[in-house]
Amino acid sequence: MATTPLLEAQNLAVRYPNGELALHNVSFTIKSPSFMAIIGPNGSGKSTLVKAALGLIKPFRGTIKVLGYDSVKQASKIRKQIRYVPQRDRIELAVPMKVKDIVLMGRLLKKLPPRIASSKDIEIARDALRQVNMDSLWNHPFPELSGGQRQRVLVARALAGEGSVLVLDEPLAGTDVESQDLIVEALGRYHRENDVSIIMITHDLNPIHTLVQDVLLLKNTVIGIGEPCSIMEPELIKKVYGPTAKIVEHSGHRYCLTRDSGFDRHD
Amino acid sequence: MIDIIQVIVSSPFLQRALFAAVLVAVIAAASGTFLVFRGLSFMASGVAHAALGGTALGIFLQESGLVPWFDPILGALLFSILVAAFTGYAGESGITQKMEVAVGVSFALSMSLAVFLMYYIPPYRVPQIWGYLVGDILLLNDFDIIMLMSTAVLLGVITLMFNKEFVYVSVDMEGSVAHGMNARMYHYAMLIVSALAIALATKAVGAILVYAILVAPAAASNELVKSVRGVIFSVFLIALIAELIGLITSFVVYVSPSAIAGILAALSYILALQIRRVRERVQTEIEETSLAPEDLVETFNQSITIEQKGDHNHEH
Repeated sequence: MATTPLLEAQNLAVRYPNGELALHNVSFTIKSPSFMAIIGPNGSGKSTLVKAALGLIKPFRGTIKVLGYDSVKQASKIRKQIRYVPQRDRIELAVPMKVKDIVLMGRLLKKLPPRIASSKDIEIARDALRQVNMDSLWNHPFPELSGGQRQRVLVARALAGEGSVLVLDEPLAGTDVESQDLIVEALGRYHRENDVSIIMITHDLNPIHTLVQDVLLLKNTVIGIGEPCSIMEPELIKKVYGPTAKIVEHSGHRYCLTRDSGFDRHD
Repeated sequence: MIDIIQVIVSSPFLQRALFAAVLVAVIAAASGTFLVFRGLSFMASGVAHAALGGTALGIFLQESGLVPWFDPILGALLFSILVAAFTGYAGESGITQKMEVAVGVSFALSMSLAVFLMYYIPPYRVPQIWGYLVGDILLLNDFDIIMLMSTAVLLGVITLMFNKEFVYVSVDMEGSVAHGMNARMYHYAMLIVSALAIALATKAVGAILVYAILVAPAAASNELVKSVRGVIFSVFLIALIAELIGLITSFVVYVSPSAIAGILAALSYILALQIRRVRERVQTEIEETSLAPEDLVETFNQSITIEQKGDHNHEH
C-alpha cells in the first residue's frame, strides 16, 4: 500500500526575501517515514526549501506538500505535525530563558494559552534533555551555554515535542565533537524507536550518513536524490561543491570532503 | 514623615501623582521588559514622540475648526498605533534591524509633522505640545488617571495571559510560527498594546522620561536577573522607586520630579553594568583557579622534575 509521501515538490520555485531566485524547477518525492538529509553548499536553498515546506515562505511557482498537505493552503495542518529547530543563531539570546524554558517550548507551543506545563510535560522535557546529556543543566540560563550545548538543548526541544515530523536546520553546524556525537546518536535512536520522520538540513553528510535513508542534494535545484552512497559520487559532489571536493572511502563507507562551514543566512 | 503623609492625603495632585507613578511602573514592567527582550527599546522613544506629533495634529484639527470634537489625546493614540503597526509590519519576519529603521522613520516623520503644524496652531496652545516632551506628573487630572489606569490594567492582563507567547515571539519567531502558534497576531498585539500604554504614559511623564523609565530599568534588570518573571518584577520595583524618589525630592528641593526619576532610572542601568562586570570578574577568577585540577598539577610537576633530573645528568 502506498503511503502519503513525506515531501512532494512539483516544479517548485522560491525567491529569497531580497528577490533573488533561491530554488527553481524543484520536483521530487520522499516517502514516509524517512530519516532524510538535505545537503548542499552555502546558499544552495536548503533552508529556503524547508521554510517553503512549512509555509513560512510562499512559493513563487509550483507547490510543495508535506504529508499530502499543501504548504500554502493547508499550512496549519502541516504545522500540527511539525517540530522545528531553526538555525542556532536565529534564537535570540537577549531573553533570559532557562534551559527548561527552551525545551518546554517544544511542548507548550502546541498547546493553547495560557500554555501551562503539566508534570507530564516536565517529565518528557527532562527525559529529552537526558537524551543529549544536558539534564543536569535544567535550571541553567540558556544564553550562557556554549554553542554546542545550546544546539543540544534545541535538539531536545524537538525530541520533547509532539508531531510526526522533526525538522532541524543545521543542528551540527559549529558544534564540538561531543555535542555532535550526542545529537546524532539521540536523533538516530529517536527515529528507530518512534514512528517519526526526521528532515535534517546539513552542510556535512559524514556524521549522519549511516543513519539517513534519503538524501536530497541541492544547488538551487535538485542535483541528486537517493541513498547516501549513491549521492556520494565524485561527479555529483564536484558539480555542487566545486573541483576541490573529494570522496574518500574508509571501512566500507564513503565520506565527502568539502570546504563548507555550514553557516549561511539570507535575510 | 507624618507631615508628608498629611500633605499627600490632603492634596489631590499628589494622590494622582503617586497613583500615576504606580501605573507607569506597571506599564514599564509589562511593556518595557518585552521591548528590551525584542531589542526594540528604541520603540518606546519612537512612540512617545509620535504621540507628540499626534497631539499637534489633534490641536490643529480642533483649532482650525476642521474636526472640533477631535481631542488631542486621540491624535496621540492614533499616531502611536500607526507607529506600532508600521514597526510590526517591518518586523514580521522577526528581524529587529528592520523594525528599528521603521521606528526611526516614523519618529522623524511625526516630529517633523509636529513642527510643521506648530506654525498653524495658536501660540497659546503650543506649550501643550511641548508638555508631551517634558510632561508633569503633578499636573494630571482625573481623566488622565482613568485613561492611564485602563491601559495599565489592559496591558497588565494581556501580559499575564500571553507572556509566554510574547517571550516565544521574541526568542524564536520562526520556530513559533512553524509549530503552529499565531505568532503574527501576538507580534502585533504586543506592539500595539505597548504603544497605547506608552502614548498615555507620555502624557503623564513626558516623552523623555517615558524612554528612561521604560527602557533603563528593563535593560538594567536584563543584565542581572536570569528569569523572565524576575525581570518583570525587578523593572516594576526600579521604576517605582525612581519615580517615588523623584516625587519626594520635588518637595524638598525645587526640581522636576520627572527629571530626578529619569536620572535615577538611567543610573540604575549604569550600576547594573558595573555589578555585572564585577560579578564576571569574580567568576573568571574562580574558574581560573579550578582550571588546574590536582592530577594535572601533579603531571605538570612530574614533567618538571624529570626535566630537572635530565639536566642534572647532562651536567655530569
